[in-house]
Amino acid sequence: MSETVDVLEQARREVGLSLADLWMRYFTLGGMSTALEVEAILYGALIANAHDRDVIAVALNERFAELGGDHPVPYAGDDDDEPDD
Amino acid sequence: MSHRFGEFEIAVGFDVDQAILVVRGDVDVLTAPTFGAMLGVLVEQGHPNVVVDVGALGFMDAAGLGVIAEMSARLAETSRMLTMRAVSRQTKRILDITGLNELVRLEEPFNSNVPALGAEQRSDDDSLAVVSKPADLAADLARVGSQPNHNLIDAALRLVTVLAGATVEGADGVSVTLERHGRLSTVASTNGTVLLMDDHQYETGEGPCLAAAADGHWFHSESLADEARWPAFVPRALEEGIASILSTPLMAAERPLGALNIYSNTERAFGPRQQELAALFASQASGILSDAGADAVDEQLGRRILDGLLARETIARAEGMLMAREHLNAEKAAAIMRRSARTAGVAVVQHAAEIVASVASELSADR
Repeated sequence: MSETVDVLEQARREVGLSLADLWMRYFTLGGMSTALEVEAILYGALIANAHDRDVIAVALNERFAELGGDHPVPYAGDDDDEPDD
Repeated sequence: MSHRFGEFEIAVGFDVDQAILVVRGDVDVLTAPTFGAMLGVLVEQGHPNVVVDVGALGFMDAAGLGVIAEMSARLAETSRMLTMRAVSRQTKRILDITGLNELVRLEEPFNSNVPALGAEQRSDDDSLAVVSKPADLAADLARVGSQPNHNLIDAALRLVTVLAGATVEGADGVSVTLERHGRLSTVASTNGTVLLMDDHQYETGEGPCLAAAADGHWFHSESLADEARWPAFVPRALEEGIASILSTPLMAAERPLGALNIYSNTERAFGPRQQELAALFASQASGILSDAGADAVDEQLGRRILDGLLARETIARAEGMLMAREHLNAEKAAAIMRRSARTAGVAVVQHAAEIVASVASELSADR
């Protein structure tokens, strides 16, 4: 899914986060990939699993929220695992 | 990982000229290393005032008192003094008996501007009340400013080893080996045995730690009993009860600088997940070192690393609680946290802190 990768990198540029800042946020949220791997995911050199991709998405969306926006980056995990509550 | 800490919790706050470590729960032999490593970072960051708020402390055993004594001594080197805030009568008695009362400044709530409130009633605001400054503050600052950054880097690396030790299952000890002044030495270790392990490698001139530091890729010995590499070092390690070792290189500018070493008393302790975690902590340590090399290790960076690790710990703990309570896997728990944080309009870490706090208060209400 190269288009989702583009979404992540595009969002990163939009909110003006450096790769290091994005990685720190991703790490804080429990991300398990190294900074180099996250960079590779953003540039499409590495395909992230849905969970990892979503952690990056949360990191970006929280930045959007700080800037007054909503969560524009879609979550992969939201398609099929809505909780029954 | 949080279950190992029981109800122990630690938080860091900063004010203009002080850093405050708030401790909740018991500081004992299990939790004292984390307490010590975090306090160590604050001490080395050079804040004029370092405050430990013990208003929510359960008890502090000898290991915790040892941390207080060590940090007081380190602060004294730069004419600073550790402040302990909201000390209970019981803790005060222990400090008096051990003589530690002479090494720390006890901040008495009734002496400050704040009205005489019980520790439980203190609001968040007055926990940031400014404490009296030492008379020679300016001299302190000058001295702190001229210090090399090595101490702060070492303190941050110690924190990484402690967290790696607590997070990587099967780890019985963690150390960081670093090349300084052209030779390898151990700059942070979680206990005496791993320090000895590193020393044996330097002495024999071989071992996974040296190999990782020299070659820049990781070395894993699943079972030292069957290990054919390093014939001089391995018998010494077996004698100390070490059964497996994972050494991950620390890299800066694509050059190996040292290694993060994890030792276990169990054979085959380090599977893919542990290796992944080791790589993560090694990349943390590498990050600390790269920034240090670029001469950018300042208070800001130390703070960010500390904040990041603390937030991560909080989120992991909240996810763990959700998983246990709702019988969810990690991914589902993360997705639910993400959604409810978004609905509440807060960041995930804030939401996680609320979950942890509410479960903690339920637990104490059950008593």
